[in-house]
Formats: sequence, C-alpha cells, structure tokens
Amino acid sequence: MKTLSFITGRALQGLVVMFGVSAIVFFALFLTGDPAAMMMSPDASRAELEAFRQAMGFNDPIWVQYGRFLASALTGELGTSLRFQRPALGLLIERLPATALLAMTALLWSSLLGFVLGTIAAIRKNSAIDFAIRIISLLGQAIPVFWLALLLIIFFSLKLRWLPSSGIGSAAHLIMPSIALGAYYLSAITRLVRASLIEVLGENYIRTARAKGISSWRIIVHHALRNALIPVITVQGMYFASLLGGALVTEIIFAWPGIGRLAVEAIQNRDFPVVQAVVLFAAAVFVIVNFLVDLAYVWLNPRIRL
Amino acid sequence: MRKFAALALAASMLLPITAAIAEAANLTVGRGASTTAMDPGFLKESATIVDNIFDTLVMRDKDMKLVPGLATSWTAIDDTTWEFKLRPNVKFHNGEAMDAEAVKFTIDRVLDPAAKSPTVSYIRTIDSVSIVDPLTVRIKTKGPDPLLPTRMSRYPAYIVPPKYVKDVGNDVFARKPVGTGPYKFVEFIPDQHVILEANKDYWRGAPSIDKVTWRAIPDGTARITALLTGEVDLIENVPVDIAPMVKASPDADLVQVKNGGLTIYLGLVMSEKPLDNVKVRQALNMAIDRQSIVTNILQGMASPRGTQVGAADFGYKDVPVTPYDPKKAKALLAEAGFPNGFSIKVQSTHRYMKDSEVAQAIAQQFGDIGVKVDQEVLDWSVYTQQVPRKGPIFMLGWGSTQTLDADAAVYAIFKTGEPYSTASIPALDKLLDESRSIVDPTKRAAVFNQIQDLAVEQVPVIPLYQEDALYAKAKSVTFEGRPDARIPIFDIKKQ
Repeated sequence: MKTLSFITGRALQGLVVMFGVSAIVFFALFLTGDPAAMMMSPDASRAELEAFRQAMGFNDPIWVQYGRFLASALTGELGTSLRFQRPALGLLIERLPATALLAMTALLWSSLLGFVLGTIAAIRKNSAIDFAIRIISLLGQAIPVFWLALLLIIFFSLKLRWLPSSGIGSAAHLIMPSIALGAYYLSAITRLVRASLIEVLGENYIRTARAKGISSWRIIVHHALRNALIPVITVQGMYFASLLGGALVTEIIFAWPGIGRLAVEAIQNRDFPVVQAVVLFAAAVFVIVNFLVDLAYVWLNPRIRL
Repeated sequence: MRKFAALALAASMLLPITAAIAEAANLTVGRGASTTAMDPGFLKESATIVDNIFDTLVMRDKDMKLVPGLATSWTAIDDTTWEFKLRPNVKFHNGEAMDAEAVKFTIDRVLDPAAKSPTVSYIRTIDSVSIVDPLTVRIKTKGPDPLLPTRMSRYPAYIVPPKYVKDVGNDVFARKPVGTGPYKFVEFIPDQHVILEANKDYWRGAPSIDKVTWRAIPDGTARITALLTGEVDLIENVPVDIAPMVKASPDADLVQVKNGGLTIYLGLVMSEKPLDNVKVRQALNMAIDRQSIVTNILQGMASPRGTQVGAADFGYKDVPVTPYDPKKAKALLAEAGFPNGFSIKVQSTHRYMKDSEVAQAIAQQFGDIGVKVDQEVLDWSVYTQQVPRKGPIFMLGWGSTQTLDADAAVYAIFKTGEPYSTASIPALDKLLDESRSIVDPTKRAAVFNQIQDLAVEQVPVIPLYQEDALYAKAKSVTFEGRPDARIPIFDIKKQ
C-alpha cells in the first residue's frame, strides 16, 4: 500500500515538473525577441516581415500562443521547425539513435572502468595507487569537454592518424566522442564507488563477515559491492537521462548527428519549435528515468518498501 | 612460396595506384553549416550546394561577369520588360524539358504570397512572367529594374522542373531536388552529408569530378583536421586563429579570396544623441586605426575600407580609407560641444572574424579621444533581436557578394526606415531613390559615386574593413575561390 502511494506520488510529481518545464520553455524563448526578423532575409521589407509574423501566429497574445502550444504538445505535436520546415518531433526522433549510441557507449566504458578503479581505490585506501586514482578522477571532472575533445582530435587524428577526426559511420568514429563524453562520468563514478565502498566496508556486518573468516574477495563481491551499488545506480540513471537529451559540446566538435547538435543549431538559428521540442524531450526523459530509478530503488532497497 | 610473396608484393604495389585512380574522381567538401533543405525557391541558408544541382538563366563567370546560362541572350524591350531567349535541348535530371513554362513556374511559385518564400524579396520587383513561345519568356517588372539580369543569376531564380515539383510536392522536392545542373542529387542525411554525382549529359559538358560529398563539420579545428588528414579535400570558413595551421601544412593550401567576405561596419543609431551630430560621427570615424586592426588583430585577412560598396561591385568608387587622426577627431568633438567626450554603449557579437577583439580595440581608440565605451558582447541569436534598434553603436557585417551591385551594399543600411538602417539623411535618401529608378548603367554608376561621396561626408555608418573569404584545400585540388562565395564543383579538378 505504501509502495503504491509512493509510486503514484512520484508519478504526479513528474507531471507537475513537465507542466512547469513547458511553461518555462515557452515563455523564456519569447523573452528574447521577435523570431520573424531572424527568419526572413535581412533585406526583407517591413510589410513582408509583418505578413510573415501574421502568418506564423507571432502576433497573437502570448497566452493564446502558449495555450495553442500546450494543447498541441499534449497530442504529441511539437510544432514545425522554422528552419527545416518539418515537424520538430520527427527531427528529434531521427537523431535519437545517434545520441543514444553515444550516450550508451560513453556510459558503458566509464562505468566499467570507474567501477574497477573505484573498487581498487577503496580497498587500497590511502595507498599510492589510491592517490593516483584520485588524481585521475579529479582531472577527469576538472578538464572541460571541449578542450579534451580538441586534444584527442589533434593527437589521435592529426598526429597519429589513427582515428577519423569527426563524423559518424564506423566503430572508429565512436571512440573519441565517447572518450570525451565519458571522461567526466568515469571520474564521477570512480569517486562514488570509492566513497560508497569505503563506507560499506566499515559497517558492522562486514566486520562480522570478516570475523567469520570469509575471504576478503568474497566479502567485497558478495556483501560490500552489492550494497555500495545502490547510490551508483541512482546516479547513473541521472547521467543516462541527461545524456539522452544530447551532448551539446561533444556532438558539435565531433560533428555527431545527434540531438545535442540539433539543439545548438536550433538555438543559433532561433528555431523556436525545435528548441522547445528538445527541452521538453530532455525533461520528459529525465522525469521518466527518474521514475524508473525510484522503482528500482524500491526493488533494490527493501527499507523503502516499509 | 616465393612466387606467392612476389605476387602479394605486386598486388600491394598495385593497390594504392588503383585506389588513387578511383579516388581521383571523388571530392569531399567540409562545411561549417549543416544543410536543412535544397529547394532553391525556399532557401534559408547559402546556396552553395544547390548551386551545383541547378542552373540559372544568367550565370557569372570567374571574373564575375554576367554570361549566358539557361538563357542564351536577354534584352530590355522597354523600361519594364526583359526578354530571355532560352537554351534549346536542355533537360532536367529526370528527363523533363527545360522551357519557358519551367521558367514561369519557377518564378510564380516564389512570388505566390501563400508560399511565403523567405527569399521573395530578391525578386520582388517582378510583376509577371509571360510565355512568348517555348524558348522565349518575358519578365515584366513593377518599375524600371536594372538589376533584373543579376536577380536571374542567383537564388531563388534557379530553374526547377514544374512537373516533378507538382508531382512530389515542395517537401519532397526540398529533400530530393532535381535540376538541370552539373550534378545530380544522390543522398541527403541531415547533419551528416549530401552526396551528388556528375550529370554526364550536362549542357556545358561532363564534369571531371564524378562524385561530391558535402559534409557538415561545425567545429573549426575539427574541420581543419579533417582537411589535413585527407578526410576532406576542401573546407569553407577557416577560422583566422588556426589559419596558420593550414599554411604550415605540406599537404594543404590556404585560399584567401580578397573582397570575398562581408564588409564590417559600425552602425550608428542617429535618432539618439549625440550621434545625430555629424561632427560626432566624423570624429568617431577618424578615431579608428583600421590598418592596425587589420594587421595586428586580423593578421591581414581583411582590407581596410572607406566605403560600404565592395570593390567588385557595380558602382564601386575607390574611396580612400578614412585616415587615422585622433587629434583632429578630438578637435571635432570639441567643436560639436563635447570637449571632454561622452559615454556610449557599443554592441558587438560573435559571428565575424575576431569581432570581440576588434570591438575592444575600437573601444580603446574611442577612449583615446575621450569617448568612454560601455562594451557589450551578445550571442548572435540575441544580438539579431536588438540590432539595429538598440546600439546606439553596433558592429555588423553587410555584403553585396550575391548581386555584386552597390544597391545591395548601401540601400538597406543607408535609407531611412529600412529594417537594417539606423541612418536618416534626407539628401542621401534622395540619391538612393534616384538610383533605383535609373536603368542606364553609366548614369546609375554616377549616382552611386555621389552616394559614396556623400557617405564620406555625412557618415551614415562607419565602414571598417572587408573580410577575406577563407577556404583551405588539399594540394591535389584546384580551387581559387570566388567573390560570390560559390563553390562550383564543375570548375574544380583533382589530380
């Protein structure tokens, strides 16, 4: 019963968040000015600008425009891109596979490696190797993505000629973007696993297990890691959700045809409907993944089920 | 075993040769912007790719002279009627005939108000198109329009196939274009590439490059790297900062097209004090050291300018660059009633070559004559919403490279009330109106000369410099660049 009300509560919260996001997305874009001036050629006359504005509905009161926007958004209709002259949602869905591929690759390698490094650092706490791992993970979070991306391009494409510098197509094209994108998450996951494992290793039941003479390998794999995983999974859910909204910088630098690049180019061209679609989509993914993580929590951690 | 090794060796020696032969006919171009659609009547981006798929009635050769295209000749029958004789036996890629009906259809669909073409303004002087016979069309203009042949040399006037467009509709046409041009459309994957193949039956002869791939690579460093590693053969928009990387490479050349870029100027909102005072405008004009900006900040990739009209434009007058004279500028300010200067806001954006560095240098130079600058640098998407109304001083790039005529360079930014104009000088307005009513080229040129002289005196805007267009290419490719920013693959050869 408690579980059910917990789940409905979370679902309702999600709906409220989505409604809030739609309002912010809609009004924020209109605060910056007139889209007609941007969409028409610079030497268009005033009459032409006015006619265009009228035709696009930009002259209606803003709350009328918002009502129209909300009503059509609920039916899955997110407007037509001003730049592509095609439905914004279609443009987004077209680019989802590329973004998902990049997000999953980046998250997969960074999770696996982060897990190994974090575990080693926790077991060898305060040793030289722990120190080295901590430095690496600090760097990974401190280095800006654009800088790392350019360094990778210069080193692996220009100097060594091992990898294609940009674009999509083969597995080789995926390597540099996923390294650039995953570096941050590698650091984050390493630190989280380390901290979480150190905490668990200090718990009484671990001490009991040790006292019973269970091998330390078995203690770590069967008892400690399993519990240390809970916060890691929560955080990974968040990371994955935010990555699906598109990796703006990485996708631009590596000419990766994903949602992030669509978003940046839409912002640069003041393509309202596309910007709105991307933000709403990212928010929806976030809310849904968050909800799934909550469900996983219920399943993983019996204490919530009480 | 030995025989096998010898064979393998021979094979491995042969391989690179055959690969080179196969590759020689393919060309890959790296562009900064991604393509969204390829309907020449409704473009919202440059016509670089479209230009290779379609033809216009009138074309420009590499010296920018108007030459016959799909029209073999054109004449002005009276002040408002132009007659075009069409080239016989030209077919679209799908086999449709290119004729008078296609020309009429092309123009009518852009003029149709319901179609809301974003580029209708380029041909808005046209009143109607009539078919005389299958190979003759007459275009009637609303008033005298000396620029009509020029208008017929660029988008939206690329000739499209009526039957195909009607059959598939505008949306499909924009994704699967069919034209009469040197290249046929093959594949378009948004944000990835557009692939074209040679039209062997092209009326000017078969192109030497068989296949062209246009790739979108938004980041400048990634674009240059792709060129230096041989992934692409030619790139557009080389950032000034990293241009030296290309110069230093043994495999690539920097292509610097003088007068190929926009003319950067400072707009002055004349409705605001003290910019309504001509002496203040003159003083600001003299306070800028253009040569030093071009040499030190832009590393020579631009030319200082004294006029907004481009050097390759019809009507250009070689107006000397305003000399840098801070002393005289200070004296003028004192005469205008500002012996101690004043404070003013200068807006700029991130769009042109090193624009924020240039704006900073100008702020310092204004400071030297006592004008304290409040500098504001805005993102382009926000900037376009404020400029040209806010300012009161703003940096903008303007170009006439598409028409190569002084009209495009000055009318929209000098004439009172035009959307991008912040000037209001009655004598200048009179001359600008006059320039649009004359067909005779000599008289037109004379009026444009007067306009440029008056602009030097009245300073409706402060011209700074004209950017070069920067391309970079592999050494194996011939490409010189054109002032009109086109990349005609038909003229490119690859060894």
